[in-house]
Amino acid sequence: MDSFEAPPRQSPAPSGDERAQLEAWLDYYRATLLVKCAGLDLVPLSMRAVPPSELTLLGLVRHMTLVEQWWFEATFTGLAVEEYYANPDDRDADFHDLSSATLDEVRINFDTASQRSRELCVGHSLDEVAQKSDRDGTVDLRWIYVHMIEEYARHCGHADLLREVLDGSTGD
Amino acid sequence: MRKCAGLDFEALTQRALPPSALSLLGLLRHMAPVELFWFDLHFSGHEPDARYLNPNDDAVFDLDGVELDEGYDYFVWACERSRALSANHDLTEPMVRAFPGEDIDLRWIYVHMIEEYARHCGHADLLRETLDNSTGY
Repeated sequence: MDSFEAPPRQSPAPSGDERAQLEAWLDYYRATLLVKCAGLDLVPLSMRAVPPSELTLLGLVRHMTLVEQWWFEATFTGLAVEEYYANPDDRDADFHDLSSATLDEVRINFDTASQRSRELCVGHSLDEVAQKSDRDGTVDLRWIYVHMIEEYARHCGHADLLREVLDGSTGD
Repeated sequence: MRKCAGLDFEALTQRALPPSALSLLGLLRHMAPVELFWFDLHFSGHEPDARYLNPNDDAVFDLDGVELDEGYDYFVWACERSRALSANHDLTEPMVRAFPGEDIDLRWIYVHMIEEYARHCGHADLLRETLDNSTGY
């Protein structure tokens, strides 16, 4: 693929079940990150457009792929995870090492990790405690959902400014 | 507020990432009326206070003649007002001044505020790093 397509995005329902609201917000933001990348080819997606920051749009998508794996697979479910983009010499390799990245690979990994997260949560209550504790202590699934929403939103804030500097486009 | 800490007026009002019109003080001035819009005007159904500006009005980001203390104090006051107005209300409670056809509840407002703050803090991250290289939560 030459660029990411903007995925369909549904606004979260204005009221109702807590679980449905949290899931809807998280899916809204997964889609928003891709919307922010849509229509750009590998060159602008890999550009550090806001120096001295090392952030790039493609780096953000790779980073959130790892974040999905970390919270839902490794922490909540307690599985041993083979991390994408792992590099023992560089813990920020998701943001670096973009020279050999392909859009197909990044998109497939992101979609695979997001879908795996959704599947791992099915049948688990928001009160259920994660199998592994994190530096934030013992967290439950509700905390993980809220954390993921704010982490995506914050990185989408980074994506907003990267995109605006790259081609002037703005929007939620 | 931590993203703004330690910077002077000139840095806080700088549009550090053109073509974006965002500045750190502009973000603070935007979020004060956002607090009031959701918790005061809509959830509680009150009339806006005399200092209220539409949070999306360009005037919020127009910082000529703005006093730093005034912007800061109004934000702190608005946050405290939001906390007070939502205390003792159930998360499933609807807004008093509802939007036609949308039954927004307090839970939605909380999650929306978290994601809106987080997104603007993402803007603040890059503004701050551009201004003085500092990074972090």
